[in-house]
Amino acid sequence: MRIIRAGGLGTVQDLGWSGYRSIGLPPGGAADRTALRIGNALAGNPDGLAGFEIALGEMEVEFESDRVFAATGAVGTLHLDGSAVPSWTTVAARSGQRCRLAPDRHGRFAYLAIGGGVDVPRTLGSRATYLPGGLGGYRGRRLAPGDHLPLGPAGDTVRPGTTRQASTAVGAIRVTAGPQERFFAEQAFETIAAAPYRLSPMSDRMGSRLAGTPVRAKRSASLPSEGTAVGAIQVPDDGQPIVILADGPTVGGYLKIGVVITADLDRFAQIPLGGEVSFVWVALAEAQRASRQASGNLARLLSEIRTTAP
Amino acid sequence: MTVPHPRIAPLGDGALTITWSDAIDPDIEIAVRRSLSAIRGKFGDQVEVVPGYTTIAVHYQAADWTYPSLRDALTPVLSHPGETAESTIGRLVEIPVRYDGRDLEFVAGQVGLSVGDIVARHTATEYRVALLGFVPGFAYLGPLNPALILPRRSTPRPRVPAGSVAIAGAQTGVYPADTPGGWHLIGRTTAVMFDPDRAPPALLAVGDRVRFVAED
Repeated sequence: MRIIRAGGLGTVQDLGWSGYRSIGLPPGGAADRTALRIGNALAGNPDGLAGFEIALGEMEVEFESDRVFAATGAVGTLHLDGSAVPSWTTVAARSGQRCRLAPDRHGRFAYLAIGGGVDVPRTLGSRATYLPGGLGGYRGRRLAPGDHLPLGPAGDTVRPGTTRQASTAVGAIRVTAGPQERFFAEQAFETIAAAPYRLSPMSDRMGSRLAGTPVRAKRSASLPSEGTAVGAIQVPDDGQPIVILADGPTVGGYLKIGVVITADLDRFAQIPLGGEVSFVWVALAEAQRASRQASGNLARLLSEIRTTAP
Repeated sequence: MTVPHPRIAPLGDGALTITWSDAIDPDIEIAVRRSLSAIRGKFGDQVEVVPGYTTIAVHYQAADWTYPSLRDALTPVLSHPGETAESTIGRLVEIPVRYDGRDLEFVAGQVGLSVGDIVARHTATEYRVALLGFVPGFAYLGPLNPALILPRRSTPRPRVPAGSVAIAGAQTGVYPADTPGGWHLIGRTTAVMFDPDRAPPALLAVGDRVRFVAED
């Protein structure tokens, strides 16, 4: 597979790491894991193979063997040799054909899953690219024109499938309170829920920076560095929250007023730069129910795609 | 000091935070290390633990635990963590350093010591690894000799070379990779702090004791 154009932030991503947070390696992997997993199912791949994550501009690739592929996530336009082809659908490409994907301005991350998967060497078990440490993926860096990426062995005949775009349901992002609840007065929780925030263009795969009504702690405070989590809403002294994404730090000293619920993380990651986000507080038990329900729904969808007859 | 009983609070729907204190304290760090060993011993790979200076974050899978079930399973372990050699003695790691960092003269001027005195003080302390973070393999080491304490640089450098030995506040550490950095660079080492092809990948682990050894 040859990269003709890479976009501003094109990387190889899979579902990332687990078990290495205590040595400073975050979970990483696709910012919208649901989109990559659906893409892999449509491309006839087992769950967890690596694909391309595309952000900040168009990516164009040239096939060097016959392959099926599927584009998911924030896809604006998708072309194969200049002809428009559908996203969220299995598409067959022949060797020599070029696929061009432009991300959608209403989202942030698009995915290209290719039959056989992108077969870069694994680092600590994952093919994800962790840019802050220059690790994994393709030489630990973002993709660039001229890069040549190996693909894994393509499966047998792939049953073509299509699916509706995973819910980009508008509506507030659900958050649970804590762990530094006690550093904030009731008003800080009301501020977050009442005021829409905008996603700053300074946001990256490490964190989404929000701009809006400042959130104030009872007193200016930082903590001795402690473990964080993807989705954690950190409140620095200037009151403009920073929400941790896949490549965010494993530890930090900012107060965390709350955490985006697991079931809404992918939807949150897809809020476009400059886009508006609003939050609603939910109880932890509701978050855990939503998380189990979302993973059940996704498992059913993936299994339907994999068993659908042509 | 008497170590207080820790508080447990949710860190979203997939993790929780165990907090002993909001302020760094050597006795708290020992309590954290003891509990870390105990949790790892009791829960193995069922959860992922991340130590902080005064906390432990525990990440879990929603398929395995709810917040109340994990909190209740942790409570007896935290009440009686027991002792292990790992949590009390720790492994000693020596790191060779060439003290020729680009900020060495600046640090000398700021703290009013000669370069030789800075090296003597930096090598005299046996440091503890309190936690790792920032980038893979970056260990926060302390406590630094009080005479060497300086605030971080007001503007971080966009790129600090891998192997740089640095100080900031009451901490010292070694940059494992070329990254941005705001600490003062006093030397460099050939020790490889992080290598994904090595087991374990990080040279240092929480609880290790570290001594810097000056090289000519």
